[in-house]
Amino acid sequence: MVTQSSATEPRTDENPLAEGLELRRRPEPCVLTIFGASGDLTRRKIFPALYALAYRKLLPEQFAVLGVARTEMPSEEFVAAMEEAVREFGRDEFTAEAWEALAGRTRYIASEFADEEGQDRVIRCLNDLDQEFGTRGNRVYYLAVPPVAMSKLVEEIGERRTTEGWTRLIVEKPFGHDLESARELNQLVSRAFTEDEIFRIDHYLGKDTVQNLLALRFANGIFEPVWNRQFIDHVQITVAESMGIENRAAFYDQAGAIRDVFQNHLLQLVALTGMEPPIDFTAEAVRNEKLKVLKALATPAPNEVVRGQYGPGFIEGQPVPGYREEPGVASESQTETFVAARLEIENWRWADTPFYVRIGKRLPRRETTIAVEFKRVPHPLFEDASELRPNILIVHIQPNEGVSLAIGAKVPGEGMRVRTVHMDFLYGGAFRTGLPEAYERLILDAMLGDATLFTRADEIEEQWALVDAIVAAWRRDTPAFPNYPAGTWGPQAAQELVEWHR
Amino acid sequence: MAQVAHVEEWLDDCATIAEIEAALVDLRYRHSEGGGPDLRTSVLTHLAWVPPEWQEAAADTLAGLGARHPSRTLLLFPQADGEDALSARVHLEFYELPGVEGHRCSEVVELRLGGARADAPASIAAPLLLPDLPVFLRWRGRPDFGSPVFGQLVDMVDRLVVDSAEWPDVPSAYAELVEQFDRVAVSDIAWRRTLPWRRALAGAWPELPDRLTGPPAETSLVAGWLESRAGVRVELERADTLPIGGDPKPSDLLSDELDVFVRDSVYEAATAAASSG
Repeated sequence: MVTQSSATEPRTDENPLAEGLELRRRPEPCVLTIFGASGDLTRRKIFPALYALAYRKLLPEQFAVLGVARTEMPSEEFVAAMEEAVREFGRDEFTAEAWEALAGRTRYIASEFADEEGQDRVIRCLNDLDQEFGTRGNRVYYLAVPPVAMSKLVEEIGERRTTEGWTRLIVEKPFGHDLESARELNQLVSRAFTEDEIFRIDHYLGKDTVQNLLALRFANGIFEPVWNRQFIDHVQITVAESMGIENRAAFYDQAGAIRDVFQNHLLQLVALTGMEPPIDFTAEAVRNEKLKVLKALATPAPNEVVRGQYGPGFIEGQPVPGYREEPGVASESQTETFVAARLEIENWRWADTPFYVRIGKRLPRRETTIAVEFKRVPHPLFEDASELRPNILIVHIQPNEGVSLAIGAKVPGEGMRVRTVHMDFLYGGAFRTGLPEAYERLILDAMLGDATLFTRADEIEEQWALVDAIVAAWRRDTPAFPNYPAGTWGPQAAQELVEWHR
Repeated sequence: MAQVAHVEEWLDDCATIAEIEAALVDLRYRHSEGGGPDLRTSVLTHLAWVPPEWQEAAADTLAGLGARHPSRTLLLFPQADGEDALSARVHLEFYELPGVEGHRCSEVVELRLGGARADAPASIAAPLLLPDLPVFLRWRGRPDFGSPVFGQLVDMVDRLVVDSAEWPDVPSAYAELVEQFDRVAVSDIAWRRTLPWRRALAGAWPELPDRLTGPPAETSLVAGWLESRAGVRVELERADTLPIGGDPKPSDLLSDELDVFVRDSVYEAATAAASSG
């Protein structure tokens, strides 16, 4: 073997062969510890994402996974359960090679989250994994645990962190249940971790199509000049689900739609749609601009917010029960499963340009879209313009990911009739690679220390401040629930919010 | 991989550009009647110059490419000793899109350039390029870099894709290729084929081998890469297969190159070093 010759001056500070080989996106050695490893999130999302990363050889060579949960079981049983989960929920073909690369590095410990002795066992196991796999004391802790367990767990981890290697904390939503609890949690976390060590997941930000919204706005010269109150009439954002609460009654009946989706996914979509161009695509620059939008959101008046709860109805021809008939839900529950609101971003770009938002369960179909409706032409030039709708740019976040633009086109033949037609861009039609799952991107980014697609403490607090203000108004009356049948687009009053505008 | 759902075809032994353009529209419209809309979300024009001895290999490469790159492919078959005519076969491949009504469509136009037409391919290809999208020229076999045909085609494209493993005279031919770098961005499929090998070598840094064993084009390029990046000169030993990387499908290799839109300075330096090796 040779090491160097004298033909060219060799670089000694870094690997000169790495350039152009996409080697830089691989994280440093580390152990990923999943608290809540026996839960649904680990089974449906986290392990399938880890498998997808292993399949693409994106995990570090020196890597290990430690699952921690209350359920008693040996490591072998946990690994077998995760294999089953990967086979069921993974997006890639199952290969023994990729799976073994992950399974051989996976361990499990049964422990109560608040149990000091259990936490000591976790630390001992992590140290053993460092020895076995060369992970150098680098730690990623993934807290996929219920909100009640979060504070104690953060405290326990914080007390036991050492100066060896780096430590990062991935925190699942919900981050608190109101402004006060979110602030307390932020303060608690900040005692042991700096902001750049904390990765608060909002998995919507990990979706390629959400990131494409930034590409659409800031990589295309034609949109940004018209992306303001002078040309846009209003924006509609929809996060619709056709499914019900799927065995999540204990959480959902406490949280409701406003804490489950509005506080996080919905407000992040508003922020990304309304933000100013960041100076660059770094974590701080992007999050600074999102924060400005969240700060500029005015509290909607009570008559600008509609809440709903689904009653019995039909989804795809099948009868489904009402929310109050779902297992685990009280028969008189006043929890909302639908929220629509008229939001105003009070700044120069968006003054008097409403953002109509709606989220809900048991709506006719699963759909997340951002529809930007432009102002009509100032003067109707052509005959029978009644069929002509304004230009609408629709960003389809899911499903059928892509972008479509409604434009007016002349109907062939005599006369000058104009009708609305759609130009469609479909992700699946233009790019040969499948879209990665949001969790793949987010777990990899956390291991790399890139926080661009995670929510910062001050964003979370602004989101909760708005939600608290809306919820405070709700306490003054008792809604007549249920007020929309499953399989419809929510209460009539929600439709009227937009109709009034028109 | 998307499945081909449907193929529409149009043939003419004596075609004009206008007829070809009309056929492209007609075939797409014909299939969409009565069904969902068919999407033509094009990302590039793929132009291929295919001398007679490369026709079979070109067909293999093209198989499966449309599923991954929704594009217009123009296959130019020069037949200098044939009758002076333009013969065209237009076929549209419709691919299924999971969960979506309608299909995605890729357009393939086979053009046989008979007689004098073989000397003026750019005048035939230029009107059929998709406007404002990148144009990739895949040149099968060893180009005659100084010929007028090569010059006129290269001057209308954004990227030239060659496979120097198809050339009988590497590494000396690289000297002529290097001269093209300031004229057009170049991809070499032989270079792409060495990617797993280069990754393994980079992973072993700072330890490096003193001998490379493999096919002449690939070993020359990897040796040029080691010299240009790390200042290391190694000996070459000829073998039929690469030590790492297996035998990827030609369409996969070409497909990867069609994703590259900028000049590759690492490749260019490696080729320059290989040409002097």
